[in-house]
Formats: sequence, C-alpha cells, structure tokens
Amino acid sequence: MTDFDKMSRRDFFTISGKAGLATVMASAVGINFGMVQVAEAAVGKGKVTPFRFAILTDAHLFSQADHKFDAMLAKAVDDVNSMSPMPDFVLYCGDIAQNGTADQLEKGKKILSKLKMPIHFIPGEHDWYLDMGAAWRGNFGAPTWSFDHKGVHFIGMNSILVKDFWTPAGLSAKERMGVMEMLESPIAGPWGVQAEQLDWLKKDVKNLSPDTPVVVFTHSPLWDYYPRWNFQTSDAPEIREILSKFERVMSFHGHVHQTLYNKIGNMGSVGTLSTSWPWPYPDIKLPYPQYQMNRSDPGNFEDGEGSQFIDLESNFTGTHHYQPFGDMLTPTMKNGFKV
Amino acid sequence: MKLTSKNRFNEIMGLIAPVALIGMLASNSAAAREPFTPAELKAQEKALLASVDHGRDLWHGSKPSMSSNGLACGNCHPDAAASNPQTFPKFQANLGKVIPIRDMINWCIMVPQMGEALDVNGDDMTAMEAYAFYMYRGITIEPGLATRQTGPVKVKSGPGFPKKGSGIGYDK
Repeated sequence: MTDFDKMSRRDFFTISGKAGLATVMASAVGINFGMVQVAEAAVGKGKVTPFRFAILTDAHLFSQADHKFDAMLAKAVDDVNSMSPMPDFVLYCGDIAQNGTADQLEKGKKILSKLKMPIHFIPGEHDWYLDMGAAWRGNFGAPTWSFDHKGVHFIGMNSILVKDFWTPAGLSAKERMGVMEMLESPIAGPWGVQAEQLDWLKKDVKNLSPDTPVVVFTHSPLWDYYPRWNFQTSDAPEIREILSKFERVMSFHGHVHQTLYNKIGNMGSVGTLSTSWPWPYPDIKLPYPQYQMNRSDPGNFEDGEGSQFIDLESNFTGTHHYQPFGDMLTPTMKNGFKV
Repeated sequence: MKLTSKNRFNEIMGLIAPVALIGMLASNSAAAREPFTPAELKAQEKALLASVDHGRDLWHGSKPSMSSNGLACGNCHPDAAASNPQTFPKFQANLGKVIPIRDMINWCIMVPQMGEALDVNGDDMTAMEAYAFYMYRGITIEPGLATRQTGPVKVKSGPGFPKKGSGIGYDK
C-alpha cells in the first residue's frame, strides 16, 4: 500500500484554504502522486520580503469532551491570533490526535479553524497508524507538499513512516496504533520519509538555484538526536544531502516537545514546544546545551508547553521565538535566537 | 555514676553480645544462610523482572483506574526519564514536605492523570517502584536533589535496537 493518496489541486486548496492562501500557494503548479509540487520557483537571494510565520504542534487531543489538552491548544491559537505583527501563516508539525481517531482529528481541525491566518499540516505518528493516515488526509490533505512565499521555498514531509511490523505479527489496527503511541516502544523501530518522498524531494528542488532560501518541516528531527524515542529521521542524511546544494536551510520539527537547536552543515534545526506536555531531555550531551529549557514544574500543568514564531529577514536570517505558557526559557532564548 | 535503666541495659548487653557472637562463630550455627544456588538466584531475578515488567505495563496505562483523562505515567516519563527515583526521599515543593517516591507516584496519578491512587503497600506500587528504580540502576543515590534533570540508564538505540524482548529497556 502506498502512503500517498492522489489528491486534486482543488482538494488541496479546499483543505488548506482560507483567505490569503491563494497568494501563498500562487506558485504551486502541479500535483505528483498527491504531493503538491512546485515546478519553477521565483525565489532566490535578495528576493525575500520579510515576514513572520508561526508553528503549533503536538496537541495530542483525546476523545474526551473538555479535556485539558483542548484548552491548551485553544490557548495557543489565541496566542498566535494575538501576535503583532500577525504571522502570514501557521505550520502544524504533527500529532493533533493522541490515538489517531477521526473525532480527535476533527476536534483539532475545529479548534485550529479559529486561527485568523492560513495553516498547513504535516502528520505525526499519533495521527497516522490507526487507519494509515486515511482520516488525517481526509481532514488535512496531502502529507507532502511545497510552496513558495515571499521568496522562500517551504517544504513539508511525512517523516514517521516505518516498515510493516503489524502484518507479520497479525496486529489489529488498534494494536498497531498502540505500538506507535508508546514513545519508547521497542517494536516499530526507527522511522523516516522513505524512498518515495526522497524521490519527490529531489524533483522538487531540482530546478531551484543554490541561493534559494529553503525551510523544511518534518515531525521528527532531521538529525540523529535520540533514536530510541524516534528523536530522529532514519533517512535524514539523504535529505540533508539533497538539500546540501543550498546556501542555507532551516529545519523545524515537532515530536520532541522541548526547546532544541542544532546545526549540521548548511542546516539549522529547531525543535518546537508542544501544547500538551514536555518530554524530558534524554541522557545525551546536547550539541547546543544553552537551548535546553528549564525543567518544568509538575505542579503547573501549563509549564513547558506553548507555541513559537519565526521572523524571516530579507537576507534569509531567521529569529526564532519560543512563546511558552509558563516561564521556562533560559536567557539564551528569552528574546529569540538566530537560526 | 548514676545508673539509669537505659545505661544498665547497655551495660548488660555489652557483656552478653560478645559471648553470644563467639558462640555462634564457634558452632558454625545453622542460623547462617548458605549462599544462594544458581537456580535460586535465577528464580529471584525472574521474580524481580516480573515485577519490573508489571510496573512498566502500569507505567504505560494497563490499569484504567490510574487515569480518568487518558494520560499515563509514560506520557511525561518515557523510560521513566525524569522520575529520578534516586533523589527520593526529597522535599517536594508542590506537596510542601519530604516524601518517598511512592507518594510522588500517587500525586502524579491523582493530579495530572486524575486517577485513583494506588495502595502504597500493594504489589502494584512495588512494581511501579521496581520499574523506576530498575531503569535508574547504577546511578548514584542523591537524596534531596530536585532541580537537576537526570535521565535513566542508557539503552541501546538506533537501527538495530531490540525489536523484541521485554520492552523494559534493558539490554541483555
């Protein structure tokens, strides 16, 4: 079974569509196996018009009515809507649902519909493995896409694809989902974007010049952070190789539920705050420990969560701002930092 | 020196204890335990790991009464990370007193998970503690340190990490 469903251009606009999105998507000119493809991009050095975008991620909504995570996501939506200047759009980095059920995904879609700007989505493992992404795609469209906005080329990919472990084991869909819900599950193994998306990525960037500003979104980090918790993407080296022709690439990811920064070659990588709970840092030496947030207070349920936004300048420098619900940022991160 | 009842007791015990100890050593008393046999040690380890495994299951939501909102201990503490059993007993700011880890476990069950507390003397609580301590085995005991986040024992990771096995994170 393929992980990509065919999808029409009209479907994509309908799913993602809000006022202003047509401008955002103006250069999306083709569809390839359900992946929105940019054929020729009018982007390059010196062509970036400064703007802001925001990132929300990892709401992990449960089916229960009035769950506290519903309120946390709604609070983050309010925070984004209150920004000045407003973000041009929002990127959602996966795990809207906790158990991948249609009602959880639809609840998330409803809460996120309160955003005043367009939003783009990529999936997380909690969204995907109950029905292999069927409900997610029905609500949010293609999991792999690219578009240009004000001189920057944006790419989104589905990084949580694993080899089939459920068929040989005779697992039900719910059992498969249960395996994937557990962060430290020893069964599924490392995940990645897999060959089909790598091929798509090669084609997507083939005609872009090296001075094109590129921003890439995945659920998991594009570097080998802590594979046991799938704080990794197994084919990240191939992704970085494909993107190595560009002068600078910015990578933003969900999944880690914590502040995090790394730089590998031409790629700056930033982890994002969830709206549900903070994951602890694994027992490894961080490449840039100054970007490790303070330990959250277990007595304050909002501590360690929040949203984030990025201000891009004309020379494609970006300032990343974490916007936590509580006070958990170290001085290095308080006023934003360059990516 | 005035003899109180307490120091009179100590004086008498001071005379009796050495004599008793010499007698036990001389007779190679049957009260001394022989070393455990390999079979006994294997059985003990099996019992311990069964408790650890049960604790791991409880940690990940196998007992519905421990949560009314779907959250399990593993949501915030994968591999028992940041549970820091080696720092207990310690002063817990949100409770305002020094507590053992079992009280912290029950606080997490009752507050973030909105569930029913475990019997502090029950097998389930022992299993929860067994899992947490097992994941921190070999790490220095440092009671009272609450501010530093520490991780659990490192386990094998990356391509090739165990696809089967107990799943509790130990590599054998």
